[in-house]
Amino acid sequence: MAFSEMLAQLASGAVFTVLVTVACCATALAVGLLSACARRVFPFPAVIRALDLFAFVFRGIPVLVLLFLVYFGLPGAGIRVSPLGAMMLSLGVISGAYLAEVFRGALDAVDAAEIMAAQSMGMSRWQVFLHIELPQMMRFSVPGMVNEFTNVLKYSPFGYTVGIPEMTKQALVLSSATLRGVEIYLAAGILYFLVYRLLLVGVRVLEKHWRVPGMGPAHLQDQPV
Amino acid sequence: MALIEIRRLRKLFDGHPVLNGVDIDVAEGDVKVVMGPSGCGKSTLLRCINRLVEPSSGSIHFRGAEVTGPDVNVRSLRQQIGFLFQQFALYRHLSVLDNTALGLRKLKGMKKKEAAERALHELNRLDMAGHRHKFPAHLSGGQKQRVALARALAMDPAVILLDEPTSALDPVMAREVAQLINRLHGEGVTMLCVTHDLEFASAIAERVAFLDEGIVQVEDRLSVLYEDHAHPSIRNFFMKQERSS
Ligand SMILES: Nc1ncnc2c1ncn2[C@@H]1O[C@H](COP(=O)(O)OP(=O)(O)OP(=O)(O)O)[C@@H](O)[C@H]1O
Ligand SMILES: [Mg+2]
Repeated sequence: MAFSEMLAQLASGAVFTVLVTVACCATALAVGLLSACARRVFPFPAVIRALDLFAFVFRGIPVLVLLFLVYFGLPGAGIRVSPLGAMMLSLGVISGAYLAEVFRGALDAVDAAEIMAAQSMGMSRWQVFLHIELPQMMRFSVPGMVNEFTNVLKYSPFGYTVGIPEMTKQALVLSSATLRGVEIYLAAGILYFLVYRLLLVGVRVLEKHWRVPGMGPAHLQDQPV
Repeated sequence: MALIEIRRLRKLFDGHPVLNGVDIDVAEGDVKVVMGPSGCGKSTLLRCINRLVEPSSGSIHFRGAEVTGPDVNVRSLRQQIGFLFQQFALYRHLSVLDNTALGLRKLKGMKKKEAAERALHELNRLDMAGHRHKFPAHLSGGQKQRVALARALAMDPAVILLDEPTSALDPVMAREVAQLINRLHGEGVTMLCVTHDLEFASAIAERVAFLDEGIVQVEDRLSVLYEDHAHPSIRNFFMKQERSS
């Protein structure tokens, strides 16, 4: 088998890797945002306790255990989940629990006086969240989100255990067929790195677009007056 | 009837009275100044008026209606009352223009263009239109307070409550803010201002109310309070102010 053919097969796996990563990141984002929103819009003790408990429990469960529970366990209870769905419900939700913590910290960094100013204008809790807390929270959370999305990429090979033909799976197949494991896994590693770089570039573009003087990393700041 | 009438207002935090029977009137077109030492409850007093803090007892009438009444819409009450904070509290993710226009769009339901025009008008009024694309981090303290004032004025409030608007400013900027307040007073804007800055107080009002130990101890001309008042806590307060300025 020519090396170019092998690369093509790895690349076909990379498409699934990106698919799994994007789907799980989207799930994580949805879970994290929902949690942050509930925390601020319904700040009742019961809601806060439930959110804390969710984050606590799901950050403690190994991804693989939850994945198997969803994919192999749930059918026993009559619920069938697709491989991608199972990845979203395990890796996606666990990452969502981590993101919820990232967002919680970012929400705490929003100036209480600004929140009070918005309330004193007559905004509802939802409006305060939407117009003041959310936009600031997202900007404060960039480093934490990059971290979490990178983790999702690195956990995406678990998709192979439920039959998703992603990149690691392809590398495994190729190396057992050709016995050229070193080159193949090296190539796979480089491809993972490229996907990672792509993710970073995407974040940088967004960051630049949303950049606000006075918010975000110090090295991007102009000097204040 | 005065625009704001506060009677026997009490506020307890953890069973401890911070306000213990405050009486204050603010007439339409008036600039009312309340002075008092740190921790005497000045911020709490202002926050009771727009229900950022719930009064424990007593009454606050705004435009003739009790603000704690059962069918009061707190959000519409707040839209009629502008509020200026000591730390300016500009939304740091929004430009000067967007800070001023946000309430118009989201609370008054104006279209983007209309809100921007109205906001620009207010910024112009406070000489801040040239800075409309800047973000709060790039403004000086005095400029921030102007934007905060423009943001409040844009909502066309019946009264503006000012919570120590100069305590985060240097004396020159504080004087600018005082001039601005005098100008707005001349234009008929009603204001209730709490401060412990004597120079600022004397620049914007002749009479002040002195709040201490939970009540308005006395309300009189500044010169009277300053020179020969019998009450030791008042003398003490004004003496200290003198030394620090
Ligand atoms: N939410 C709260 N819970 C408990 N105590 C409070 C609360 N808010 C204010 N207090 C207390 O009430 C008292 C008055 O506070 P307030 O902020 O109204 O004073 P102030 O006159 O505005 O002071 P300063 O000049 O420092 O701004 C203080 O002793 C403060 O600790
Ligand atoms: Mg105060």
